Amino acid sequence: MALLEKLQRRASDLGLWYRFIQLLPKLALFCGLIGMAYLALWLPSEGQYRHTYISENALMPSQAYSYFRETEWNLLRGYRAQLELLVNEPVDKKNVILAGWLEEIGLKTAVHKDADHGDSLYGVWHAPRGDGTEAMVLAAPWHNGDGEFNLGGTALATALTRYFSRWPLWSKNIIVVFSEDPKASLRSWCHAYHTSLDLTGGSIESAVVLDYPGANDFFKYVEIFYAGLNGELPNLDLVNVAVHITQHEGMRVSLNGIAESEMEDREYYGKMKQLLLGVRKMALAGVQACYGNEAFSGYRIQSIVLRARGSGGPFDITTFGRVPEAMFRSVNNLLEKFHQSFFFYLLLAPQNFVSIASYLPAAVAFSAAFIMAGLDHFFKGSKSITSGTARSSDTLQTVTRFIACLMTSYAVSQVLLQRNNPHALISVSVLTSMAPLYPSINSNSIAQAHQLKSISFLYLSVVLTSLLVVNFALAFGIGLLAFPMIKIQNTTNSRLRIKNSLLLLATNPFIASCAFANIFETNLSGFDIIRNLVSAWNDLGCWTWFVVCIGWLPVWISVAVSSCYVAEQAEPNYHSSSDCASVKKLD
Amino acid sequence: MRSLAGAFFWIVLFCAVITATTSIDEDLNIPNEAETAGNAYQTCSAECLSSASEEISTDGLELTDEEIKVASMGNTSDSLSLYESSESIKYPFHEQLTLRPLPRSFMFASFEFLMRSNNFTVGEKESDFNAYRHYTVFPKSLSPLLEYTQTRQLHLRFTHGRWDSESWGQLPHEGRKSGGTGVELWAVIEAGSKDDAFHNWISLANSLSGLFCSSINFITAEKTTYPTSYSPLSDESSLPIFNTSNSLFLIRAALANEPICTENLTPFLKLLPTRGRTGISSLLDGHKLFDSNWQSLSLDVETHCNAGKCQYHMEQFIEMVFNVPNSLARADTPIPKPVQESELRCDPTKPHDAWQCFPLPQSRDTKFRLSKLFGRKIIGSSLISEYPSKVCANVTDSWKVFIDVNDALFSTEDNCFTIKYDNEHDLHIESTDTSNVVEPEPIPLFVSRSLTGYGQDSGGLRTVFRNPSNETVEASYFETLPWYMRIYLSSLTMESVDGLEIEDVIQNTYYLPAVDRQRPTHLNFKLLIPPNTSLALSYQFDKALLKYAEYPPDANHGFEIESAVVTVTRPISYELRTSTLLLSLSTPDFSMPYNVIILTSTVMGLAFGTLFNLMVKKLITVEEADSRSSSSTSLKAKLAGILGKIMRTSRKVDVEKKHQ
Repeated sequence: MALLEKLQRRASDLGLWYRFIQLLPKLALFCGLIGMAYLALWLPSEGQYRHTYISENALMPSQAYSYFRETEWNLLRGYRAQLELLVNEPVDKKNVILAGWLEEIGLKTAVHKDADHGDSLYGVWHAPRGDGTEAMVLAAPWHNGDGEFNLGGTALATALTRYFSRWPLWSKNIIVVFSEDPKASLRSWCHAYHTSLDLTGGSIESAVVLDYPGANDFFKYVEIFYAGLNGELPNLDLVNVAVHITQHEGMRVSLNGIAESEMEDREYYGKMKQLLLGVRKMALAGVQACYGNEAFSGYRIQSIVLRARGSGGPFDITTFGRVPEAMFRSVNNLLEKFHQSFFFYLLLAPQNFVSIASYLPAAVAFSAAFIMAGLDHFFKGSKSITSGTARSSDTLQTVTRFIACLMTSYAVSQVLLQRNNPHALISVSVLTSMAPLYPSINSNSIAQAHQLKSISFLYLSVVLTSLLVVNFALAFGIGLLAFPMIKIQNTTNSRLRIKNSLLLLATNPFIASCAFANIFETNLSGFDIIRNLVSAWNDLGCWTWFVVCIGWLPVWISVAVSSCYVAEQAEPNYHSSSDCASVKKLD
Repeated sequence: MRSLAGAFFWIVLFCAVITATTSIDEDLNIPNEAETAGNAYQTCSAECLSSASEEISTDGLELTDEEIKVASMGNTSDSLSLYESSESIKYPFHEQLTLRPLPRSFMFASFEFLMRSNNFTVGEKESDFNAYRHYTVFPKSLSPLLEYTQTRQLHLRFTHGRWDSESWGQLPHEGRKSGGTGVELWAVIEAGSKDDAFHNWISLANSLSGLFCSSINFITAEKTTYPTSYSPLSDESSLPIFNTSNSLFLIRAALANEPICTENLTPFLKLLPTRGRTGISSLLDGHKLFDSNWQSLSLDVETHCNAGKCQYHMEQFIEMVFNVPNSLARADTPIPKPVQESELRCDPTKPHDAWQCFPLPQSRDTKFRLSKLFGRKIIGSSLISEYPSKVCANVTDSWKVFIDVNDALFSTEDNCFTIKYDNEHDLHIESTDTSNVVEPEPIPLFVSRSLTGYGQDSGGLRTVFRNPSNETVEASYFETLPWYMRIYLSSLTMESVDGLEIEDVIQNTYYLPAVDRQRPTHLNFKLLIPPNTSLALSYQFDKALLKYAEYPPDANHGFEIESAVVTVTRPISYELRTSTLLLSLSTPDFSMPYNVIILTSTVMGLAFGTLFNLMVKKLITVEEADSRSSSSTSLKAKLAGILGKIMRTSRKVDVEKKHQ
């Protein structure tokens, strides 16, 4: 205590506290830049990331020889030729025919009926050795995330099921699912499995979604998608197993759909690119094209998507089939649930990762930046009040205003859920961004403006802090895009007012996300992202829309409101020596 | 008094032995060398259990020429009998193997062993000075155990796998001989009070645990229920009470997470008088048995009394379902490698060439030997038993079953074979249409149960009942749930497309709520399910937090919930069990408490320091503090002062000492 006391006395002697308060705006800016640089520049550098490893010893990927080869290829082609005839048939007919094949193999089949999202056929292969309490899912949607007919995938799933049924070693049931699409339909099946389906096969441990469009026998490389909804990731062990097996079979792995030309880039920029792509995929999971693993999020199911990419490559479809085969063998070995390895990680290459402890500071920095901005405004606001120009009842008024902003935001989120009209939303946002151009002068306004901003920034900081462990990518993304807001000032200067207006425009949740999506995501052009955010909630239960609307939007509205106020006098000067003296006395 | 009773017992026993031996002499033809040499016909004489006591004709004239497929008369063994004397004693033991093909190339095999103990007198303890007992075929390990724990009925089930009732029909013995996945044990225990009964029950469980090499000793009060309406008590009147002041208690427990393994089979076989060395039990090999799709080991001991004389009746069943093609393929190559291209069976109606092949359904032709399925042959008969070992095949016309004795194949009218000699026997089975099997008995009720919901704190249980018949089914649904599943019976809802209400279906509810760490939930519904309906009952539960030491020590994937027992009473009597469930409770990361303790201690330390300082120190301004510190003597000076004082006094003392 004595030491602390001494330090505190020393600090007050030197006036550090005032310097700190003065420096707050700069510190906030500095924190934000640190956050950005930490993730993008520091983490991909040598020594900051680790090499992946299989943490759970029982998994033993690729330790057993994979036999899905030779004549299994003939059978696979046989199934594929028959499925090819069904491409244009209605889903009912496809399901009936496929159910016949599956029952012939020995599965129990049932169809999950969903009038809104499409029916899903599924079959349960009861493991002869298991106690029937656990299951592994092999899913092959009829159409993949890009809307292509998943011919190879469905044929492969059928052939693999037949192949699996000949093995006596399974300790977990195998459930094979054929859904209409990998998004809402598969999600609906997964939800029904946990609520209302009569035919069940125990709790699902893992899910592998197969995506092999077209009738080509050969492909070039394998793409793995793993980012689930709401920041959920499969256990790193499962991703490692998939990567390990794929590379063991000689195939190249591309994570998160990185282009073929860039996936082999193991240099600094390559790693940076993969890292940022991974963060982007996580933040936009459910909003951009879904390949199927998202459907299993939230049920403690570890799921990944395996996609065969390119045609005419050196690898044949049975090589691709050996990946799920070996994965199932690995998962089958598990005596426990997946728990050994990381659930929070970022991958910068198929075999390099950073764990949560390493990357979390990036989002914490943004959170800290908003705290500092909030504190800055708090001190400025209380200064105005103590200097006698404001009444204390104004504080109550400010809080009421912030609550009104919060309510408005909630109303916006609900209205959009009912009437998904991004054009109106964007127009209103643009109009609101013009607010600083028409200032209103009020004697107390400057204090209230500071108070309102202070509350908003502290609120945003709380939102980001609580989000950053659960959904790091989203917290980081919102922090990054909302960050310029802290530069909005209350001013009478018309040039600065235009700058304020532009900053508001840039940090509006909807405009910013649209701009971001249009720059970085080729398949989310125009206002698609708004539409998808809403449909992701409706179809998949993805919270991103509400985080944006209730976390970010009220802050933006209150900052917009506060920027209307301008001071009728110069801002109080912190440098005045009398101030310092009076506070020193207090101490 | 005791000696008198002992003498009486001696006389009775003597009489019994005399009658037994004479009856055996009359009824059974004990084979000897002269009769068997060079003639194997009688080994496959068409007989069934009822005719076992009939005299077996030595020339085997019951067999017609058609039935004898192959009869190689060549090298029959020259010595087939162990018995030189025709006066061997035969004991009450019966064993039979029944084979029944099931649809989709499955084969059900049931090994049945029935035995009886010798008579014993009520009230005479085995530990009594002048009491002694013959065990003959009844296992010596069980009898004292039953007596010590006052067990009047003992039922033990080891079951594993899934009985596919949609395809295979009813469970064998109307489901009364197979339990849920894992171990199930119930017993009728005579005791003066419930506490005594529980005490006996625990010692019974502990003893059985050692006897059967399984973790039955994990049965505690937490897992034990006292079922009120459970099948074994239906014939309570026949249950004996040795002491009229006592009453009988039906106690039950199940361990769903108990893996059934070869080590459980060995003690099962050891209970048999043949010890698995001869007779049909010589077929049983742990590797093959536990490679099957469904297997069940059951043991039932009942006490039957008549006029003060009591007897244990014991039934042992070892039953399994094989997938015949898979088992045969595994016998050839243990790894199911891709078949050769020449062996691919392609659908000719669909395109097939060197590249593609749409697989045909499984072949309907089959031809195999039992020894390939079980990896062994039947080594002789159980020669000490009253009845010879029997092998029966319950097949339709499209099947042909032959017994192979010394490379000669024989068949019988009803596909039942008695095995009477100690040479190796094998069964040859072939069929041209494996799908043509004995019609499976219709199932009165399908029940499936699953866990719903997700999340760590709550969940739901959903049970679907489907009555496929045209008659209303009356059934009892019995469920035991561990205390850490805190169910809300108020949340009981029913889904039914036919608009049924809960009151229409549930006639009666018995609910005994759980007590934490002491008692499981005991739930029993009496249900009335209308014809051709399907309905689902569901209710919600909360997951309790366990104490850290209550989590299983290592590798665990969750907590198994034992299967529910459904007993159908009308229109037919049938018993079935649902599959077990896996409940995942929130499992803490056990390294975390360590971190938490450290962090908490640090925070506590800091807070304590601050608070303590605030309480004992005075707050003054900086100026005042500076002035005080300059005026007051420093610690060093104080110390020096004190030290000086001490030195001075000690010196004084020294001076005084010197003076003295």
